[in-house]
Amino acid sequence: MSTDLHTLSGAYALNALSAEEAEQFQRHLEACPACTQEVRELQQAAAQMGASEEISPPTYLKAKVLAAADRTPQLPPQVTRGNVIHVPRHRWSAILLTAAAAVVLIVAGVVGVNQLGGGGPGEQQDLLAEGVVRVFQAEDAHTATMETANGGKISVATSPELGEMAVDTDELPPLDDEHDYQIWAIHDDTYAPVGVVEREKGAAMDMPDPETVVAITIEPRGGSEQPTTEPIMQVNPSEV
Amino acid sequence: MPEPELRLVSQGPPDVDDLMRRASRGDSQAFEALYDELSPAVYGLARRVVRDPARAEDVTQEVFLDVWRKATRFDVERGKAKTWVMTIAHRRAVDAVRRSEAQKRQDHQGAPEEVSHDEPADALIAAEEHGAVRDCLETLTELQLESVRLAYFNGYTYGEVATLLDKPLPTIKTRMRDGLIRLRDCLEGAR
Repeated sequence: MSTDLHTLSGAYALNALSAEEAEQFQRHLEACPACTQEVRELQQAAAQMGASEEISPPTYLKAKVLAAADRTPQLPPQVTRGNVIHVPRHRWSAILLTAAAAVVLIVAGVVGVNQLGGGGPGEQQDLLAEGVVRVFQAEDAHTATMETANGGKISVATSPELGEMAVDTDELPPLDDEHDYQIWAIHDDTYAPVGVVEREKGAAMDMPDPETVVAITIEPRGGSEQPTTEPIMQVNPSEV
Repeated sequence: MPEPELRLVSQGPPDVDDLMRRASRGDSQAFEALYDELSPAVYGLARRVVRDPARAEDVTQEVFLDVWRKATRFDVERGKAKTWVMTIAHRRAVDAVRRSEAQKRQDHQGAPEEVSHDEPADALIAAEEHGAVRDCLETLTELQLESVRLAYFNGYTYGEVATLLDKPLPTIKTRMRDGLIRLRDCLEGAR
């Protein structure tokens, strides 16, 4: 870790960084568990200092706050870190390009499935997980949970601000060893493979353009170049 | 009249972490209890940072709405509910101060305004602070204390604090961290 960044933990816990610096430091925290722990402890010390002078607010404020809360929906719970895989940003545009040019579609599709099969160990995996968490946690997240044709549920989150979408596939029925769930982008009636998704994980990706529908099918293990079964769900991300 | 002893036995202080868990499942009674429990600390901090009582009320309301909306994201593994709420409260209060400063600068058409603050050298430890926090703040060096307090209670960035105290940036950065570490260690020992 950079010593220079690390020493910002105090200023960060005091909210004494500029917006850009705070954002930079937050990204640093994602890759530095020791720093995250230190920041938590320093935030706790700061919070205790902040709570040391209690003043009762005017009584009418309580009714106002409770009434406002009553009108305000709560955010959906977040998908926990490490519970998801990520379709990197550049992959999605590649998929859409291939969907438009059907000739290269199959080649790109095979590459896509292979790339997604593993998810990648270690640091990469952690960084990838952050992507999905970010979408579900986004301030402007739209989420929808839908039932699938095979009796499961799937949650979709989109964030216009991030320009990304994510799916949580944890509530899909488990498959046997011979089959996988596979995500597709449907564009002008052409299916482009996005990748195989492990049920207990999930996926995040850039928002496709408005005419593109995202679908999931059950395919032989490892995925197919073109769908071999009917989709168990389809969603137009721009309508979530 | 109920027996005071009986009341003490039957109702201890509510567990804030537990209230937060219940509020995260949409329990508005738990949220109300959470408000009762934490609003004096939140409002006290907001008053101290933004000064103006009406704006401190706005901040308090924003904080509790945030807490209600995001209760589903609260994770006790990452820290106590009270710390989480106070961290939100502080961020909201500081944002309010910075917004109004930016507004003032705009109103004055970019005329640089003297950074105003209430005498850092004077009354470093506010009289209202009490107990462990007060004792522990006394263990900080003067520069640590000034750096921490100007940032935390006046909402200044470390750059502004460095200007105000006429010290190099890295020094202030380091003092903020050292100061908080000392405060943390002292508060842990006081428990």
